[in-house]
Amino acid sequence: MRASALYWRIQRRRNRGLTGLFLVVLAFLVLYVIQFPGLLTITGISKFTQNWFPLALVTMAQVILMLTGGISLAIGPLVSLGAVIAATTMTGTLGVGGGFLAVCAAGLGVGAAFGAIVTLVRLPAIVVTLAGSFIIAGAALLILERPGGSMPVWLSDLLAGNTPTALGLLVLILIGWKLYLKTPWGLGIYAAGENPVAAFRAGVPVHQVKIAAYAISGLLTALAGLFVAAQTGSGDPVIGTPLTLNSIAAAVLGGAGFLGGTGTMRGAILGSILLSVMINVMFFLGFDPMVQYVAQGLIIVGAVALPQMSRLWRRP
Amino acid sequence: MSRVMTLLRHRAMLTLLVVIAVWVVAGFARDGFASYGHLRYLLELAAVIGLVAAGQTLVVIGGGIDLSVAAVITVSAIALPLLSPAGDPTGIVGFVATLALAGFIGFLNGAGIAALRIHPLIMTLAMATFLQGLLVLIAGGSAVSTDNPLVVWLGSARPAGIPAGIMVWVVVSLAVLVYLHRTPGGARIYAIGTNPLAAELSGVRIGRVTMRLYALSGLFAGLAGILVLGMNRQGYVGIGDPYLLSSIAAVVLGGTSILGGAGTYFGTIPGSILLVTITALITVVNASPGWRSILFGTLVLVLLLLAGREQRR
Repeated sequence: MRASALYWRIQRRRNRGLTGLFLVVLAFLVLYVIQFPGLLTITGISKFTQNWFPLALVTMAQVILMLTGGISLAIGPLVSLGAVIAATTMTGTLGVGGGFLAVCAAGLGVGAAFGAIVTLVRLPAIVVTLAGSFIIAGAALLILERPGGSMPVWLSDLLAGNTPTALGLLVLILIGWKLYLKTPWGLGIYAAGENPVAAFRAGVPVHQVKIAAYAISGLLTALAGLFVAAQTGSGDPVIGTPLTLNSIAAAVLGGAGFLGGTGTMRGAILGSILLSVMINVMFFLGFDPMVQYVAQGLIIVGAVALPQMSRLWRRP
Repeated sequence: MSRVMTLLRHRAMLTLLVVIAVWVVAGFARDGFASYGHLRYLLELAAVIGLVAAGQTLVVIGGGIDLSVAAVITVSAIALPLLSPAGDPTGIVGFVATLALAGFIGFLNGAGIAALRIHPLIMTLAMATFLQGLLVLIAGGSAVSTDNPLVVWLGSARPAGIPAGIMVWVVVSLAVLVYLHRTPGGARIYAIGTNPLAAELSGVRIGRVTMRLYALSGLFAGLAGILVLGMNRQGYVGIGDPYLLSSIAAVVLGGTSILGGAGTYFGTIPGSILLVTITALITVVNASPGWRSILFGTLVLVLLLLAGREQRR
């Protein structure tokens, strides 16, 4: 009884600040549906989720790291690496299963390596992932020097066709995350991020928790690459580049903090929808791509500043 | 003796020793690497990174980070020809106007961070995105060239055999070092980087210091942009891109804590030279772009493992 009361109190605290974001996302979605009524068909929903899915995955990856007090500037290159590995292995001798395993292994390996350096050697995450981004980008270029490779057609149809597979996968990943949070290591993520010393004294294996979080984050990022490869039908060694900044922006829009322990997966989902819809709406309104950049910069600042301002006004 | 030991134990000194060691080894291993002309060329390239990293060092010591420096460099390089009036034979008007623009962009960053309480990563990132769009709207995506006499002189003149860019770097370095270590303003930067709350309670006006820091970062990035334009004679969209990561890497390699409050520009100077040296060595190896990128990342990571460990707090 006590425990459940505490649980809901924590959930409420984590939801604080998300209500405004939820309303903004809803408003944007309504605007989008009015402009583009085809969105409410199965095909419309499928296409919409497919556009947004890679950003959703990398935002979740970024939020997991930010929960532990870390950050990754290597998201984009790792997406590219996942894409080129998928595009070079899946139609080759390894087959779809082998290629899938190779992508997973790359993501888990890179993530765990980052996690190990950050926690065991105590280098700041922002610097490690910055240096790592060069190594990963180089590896992607070695595997595939220019856009090429191919993906099995049935896989592209399954993931990026007219069925809402991506939406289903997203729901599965969210359920998986909920379950992971029930395990000791999952439970420790918030604790290790908010106050590592207190968490350690309370018996949380802080190092293992953090390294596991980095590995999971790497896995999600590499899988986003696999999806992008399926979407485009080929591999491109620089296709992920914009996702580094967009993942940070979406994570912060979704309420994740840079100091660790603050943030939620529902926030990540909302933040990534907001960013993705914003880009889509501007595209459909016929904005020049360059005006889109200007508007994107302004909207990100506005969306982050408004809650801060209202908090300041409430507490004069 | 103990003074020598303290000096040797200082991180800035260590970075400098690494640079000298690399130069000596590379000089023996490869003819021409240690020639005066080549080393001067390396220093000329390092001057650009050093200028950008000067602002970055100040911002990082103050507990922030500036991800908009690349965009500011590009904006300055492209805006300078537009801001230089045809009737000005010295080119000073365009030079000053461009610096003012760059400083103003930095000031806007600082204002957003101090007044709107936006996290520096987000504010400067959003500013970079904003500028990226604005640039193409202004310049239309084509390259611009300059004949501004002052800028051309900065990029190519060698009074007494020393490139003007290096001289600019020396002057800026001295100014930054004096500001950081010999003025109350410098002490306030360390104060807000170590503990903003304590600094505010001790009477430091955090908002004002923050805005000044980011304005300076914008100003130095603008100066670097002008220098790059002078060296290339051409400005194009993306000209500043390589300098974002190098500026942060130079700061960290120089021993400044990315968490703020500790460090000095003394370390960033050899940090900048080290980065340029690494890049030059990798070019000598003549590898494919993929291997070059891997080598660069690995070397930076190894150097960080050796020298850049964050102290336990």
